[in-house]
Amino acid sequence: MAANHRGRQVLRYLPVLPAMVLLCVFLAGPVLWAFHASLTNAGLTGRHARNPDWVGLDNYQRLLQDPAFPLALVLTVVFVAGSAILGQNVLGLALAVLMRRARPVVSATVGTAVVAAWVLPEIVAAFAAYAFFSRDGTLNQLLAKVGLAETDWLYALPMVAVILANVWRGTAFSMLVYRTALNGVPAELTEAAQMDGAGAWQRLAFITLPVIRGSIATNLMLVTLQTLAVFTLIWVMTAGGPANGSTTLPVLAYQEAFKFGDIGYGTAVASVLILTGAVFGAAYLRLLREQKP
Amino acid sequence: MTVQLRRGRRPAGQGAGRPGPKPLPGSRPRGGNLRGSTWADVALLLIGACFLLPLLWLVFASLDPTAGHATKVPERPGLDNFTAVLTPELLFRPLWNSLVLSAGTGAVTLVAAVLAAYPLSRYRSRFNTPFMSAILFGTCLPVTAIMVPVYGLFVQLRLLDSMPATVLFLAATSLPMAIWMTRNFMDAVPLALEEAAWVDGASRLAGLRSIVLPLMGPGLGVVFIFVFIQAWGNFFVPFVLLLSEARQPAAVSIFSFFGQHGAVAYGQLAAFSILYSVPVLALYVVVARGSGNALALSGAVRG
Amino acid sequence: MLRRTSKTLSLLAAATLVLAACTPADPAGGNKTIKVAYQKTDSFTALDSMFQDAKKEFEAANQGVTVELQPIQANDDDYGTKLALALRSPSTAPDVFYEDTFKVRSDVDAGYLLNLDSRLAGWGDWNKFDAGAKEAGKADDGGTYAVPLGTDTRAIWYNKKVFEAAGIAVPWRPSGWQDILDTARKIKAAEPDVIPFNMYAGKGTGEGTVMQGFYELLYGTGASLYDQDSKKWVVGSAGFKDSLAFLNTLYSENLAVPPADALDPNVWKKVFGEWFPKAKLGATVEGSYAPSFWQDGGSYAWPGYAQEMGVAPFPTQTGGAPGAVSMSGGWTLAVGAETKQPDLAFNFLTTALNAKNSLKFTVASSQIAVRTDVAADAGYQSANPFVKDVSSLVSVTRFRPATSDYPRISAAVQEATEAVITGKRTPEQAAADYDAAVAGIVGADKTIRK
Repeated sequence: MAANHRGRQVLRYLPVLPAMVLLCVFLAGPVLWAFHASLTNAGLTGRHARNPDWVGLDNYQRLLQDPAFPLALVLTVVFVAGSAILGQNVLGLALAVLMRRARPVVSATVGTAVVAAWVLPEIVAAFAAYAFFSRDGTLNQLLAKVGLAETDWLYALPMVAVILANVWRGTAFSMLVYRTALNGVPAELTEAAQMDGAGAWQRLAFITLPVIRGSIATNLMLVTLQTLAVFTLIWVMTAGGPANGSTTLPVLAYQEAFKFGDIGYGTAVASVLILTGAVFGAAYLRLLREQKP
Repeated sequence: MTVQLRRGRRPAGQGAGRPGPKPLPGSRPRGGNLRGSTWADVALLLIGACFLLPLLWLVFASLDPTAGHATKVPERPGLDNFTAVLTPELLFRPLWNSLVLSAGTGAVTLVAAVLAAYPLSRYRSRFNTPFMSAILFGTCLPVTAIMVPVYGLFVQLRLLDSMPATVLFLAATSLPMAIWMTRNFMDAVPLALEEAAWVDGASRLAGLRSIVLPLMGPGLGVVFIFVFIQAWGNFFVPFVLLLSEARQPAAVSIFSFFGQHGAVAYGQLAAFSILYSVPVLALYVVVARGSGNALALSGAVRG
Repeated sequence: MLRRTSKTLSLLAAATLVLAACTPADPAGGNKTIKVAYQKTDSFTALDSMFQDAKKEFEAANQGVTVELQPIQANDDDYGTKLALALRSPSTAPDVFYEDTFKVRSDVDAGYLLNLDSRLAGWGDWNKFDAGAKEAGKADDGGTYAVPLGTDTRAIWYNKKVFEAAGIAVPWRPSGWQDILDTARKIKAAEPDVIPFNMYAGKGTGEGTVMQGFYELLYGTGASLYDQDSKKWVVGSAGFKDSLAFLNTLYSENLAVPPADALDPNVWKKVFGEWFPKAKLGATVEGSYAPSFWQDGGSYAWPGYAQEMGVAPFPTQTGGAPGAVSMSGGWTLAVGAETKQPDLAFNFLTTALNAKNSLKFTVASSQIAVRTDVAADAGYQSANPFVKDVSSLVSVTRFRPATSDYPRISAAVQEATEAVITGKRTPEQAAADYDAAVAGIVGADKTIRK
């Protein structure tokens, strides 16, 4: 009986197999290799390219002593909080809500504009953002026209520039998810509240948001984890500068692994990145679990 | 049968337990909200304008034969950059390769994700949560971190310079997000509808195909678009895994505009970028249009 | 797992080589292929043309041999990454490849490059190569592992209009550091809204900071980064502090660009595209490839550059011997260590770098000739008006001590310059920081006080 049940369980989960195979071969294997490499001094070139030595936790110890690392950790958290949790998430929700109330033509046009930024290949978006924020770029030109002071965004406020650029780039995803989610809110609920005298904001806060909280949590999670991996945008805009002022963990990992050829150290940074993702993910999972009754 | 399902089932699913005909859930609030509609328009247009601003550089530079990285209206606008770029080896072949890679990745990912999401969504098991959590961390992986071992793997398996193998790898990297999103959308389709189909004698697979998938239409559209766009813009993976020039997608060939000593041919880069982005934009418009009609329907199942 | 497999593959390759050596070579036997990897972009096609020509020549002279060209479309950094990945396993390693001088030593350490000494000794053209340029392919053990394709030098490029407006005689040839500072101050006094003298500094311009700035200073003081005899990195030298002090003076007296501009990775674009053509910059230290930007078809085409610009060697600190300082980078061609056809690969390399192909490539890519016969060619000399001047610097030029530790050392130098020009550290403090950083990178036992 138990064997039968077990057999049925396996059969039921058979459809997961293709995904499992792909994930194990192409992701799990290399990730494990990366963890292993972080415990060696493997290099892209040099003495340790073909014959890396085992160094245990040396790379991690070096991380803790390297001044660039805690800064990178802090900057990564700031970047994620600013551009994902606050920026993309809130703006995406706002856009979705507004689009339901606005004229269809306007909705479609603005939707396309927002998606255009998302659809652009990353290198192109990065250059467009660089051109926008640079000293003689569009933003400063506009500020000058309105009479406000121009700022050297990329050198005085690099994190502000990359956070805004990432919000510009990624909001479309949240917008799409929330549009789909909002369409699932039954009109009876909102209309009943309206008839009871609730204003638009109250309806939003007390009816709509609680109903879609599953989507909110999932969206937050996906957007956060994706933002953790953002690299090209920052690299092209500021190259991590000035003076490591915008070097987040992916930028640091790339610098170490490919500019300095130190694969061991670079994968150690990447491992910390995955760990950070795990921390965020665990937080969201708790949030999700609390939502599901 | 599917189409009939939509028309026939709709009032039943929606009307169950609710008195009288009601407006479609998720439809616009009726009646005197014209003022509200206008300020929403204005707010939206403002935000939309902000999103279009950084693209100004792109447009100006593409029309300017002497473009730099500063945004300025071209003194002598012309289509020189476009004509310079519209060649088979600079544009058409890489775009075709991009299409093959992205569409292939989208298709493979979607199939694998739907298959994987079904048991995860429909069955309860101790396996679900650990699996979902494990693949969750796959979404925050910077792919650059694993390119060295992946390259080694491809060398050993002799899969270098192979489009199908690259598609499989791209699909693997897109799967974590795709599975999460698909399962989420699938959760929104109530089991009740499937159970009704089983009562009628349909198998689980038929139920999946004829009930769940159509109702997930817009969700599947979002997932496909997402995976397609990621693959469309992905540079590092095809750069490392594909060797011959003839197989490189546009994301890689765009780097031919970056010359020696750091010089960049900005005008041509901008023109190329616009042409490179248009197909994906068009795809989005098509999918959004198609999803729009079913968008209203998706409300019927959220109850 | 990867290590074991690559070890197995290496053993197999070695066994094959031994077997091949034991059996007599069959000249008409089978179709042999040589893989050639190199960089190609939209604007850099000179190498591609050279290899296409060499391929035709070589295949005609060697029946039964196929040359498989593998151009890689990428910028310098990504090309380096892709090449490094390919070199990791013998099955993907190319036989002949385009290698940055920057990477030669570390790739030799990794065992990727074939020692060419014996083969070069048997190549007639080798003694036509400039003795200074040959250093590019040398490794720590003194052996030569790569053959230079071309090189570049660094010099002071100055705008004659700006100088004449400030009353300075042209052609200008500074006699030492003090002369540069005095001239810059003169320009500043005469034309307040012109930048007198630009020298790259800080981490923004990366390797450009050190190649077109700091090293011109450092190597002119008699000090150096790396002591070749003891194979140790130099710390605590007076020359290092003096060089930082020079930068400090230049920037604190506003004789250079504002520090915020210096930190912009794209500042060189303004130098070439805006400031020089508009006579807003007095002088800069830049590479010999500068004309390639101003020539017809270059990124910042400027028809008047030949008349308005002048070039002068960068002087040593007090003008003493050898009188000028220059740094060279450049690229080489190398042969993979585990190639299955070392002789064929080397022969292809020599075909690609024969006099005819070398001349065509050097002129097309605005490089400096490394072959004396190419350097003497009339066509080469008339490519642009500055060729003679910049080529003459090859005799005093230095190459970077590009070991596998070098990238980090370079980053430490850049940090030192950034700290000084932003006023965060004094030259002495920055030099001390650098010493500590070097000890941290290579270990205290690999440093030497000089």
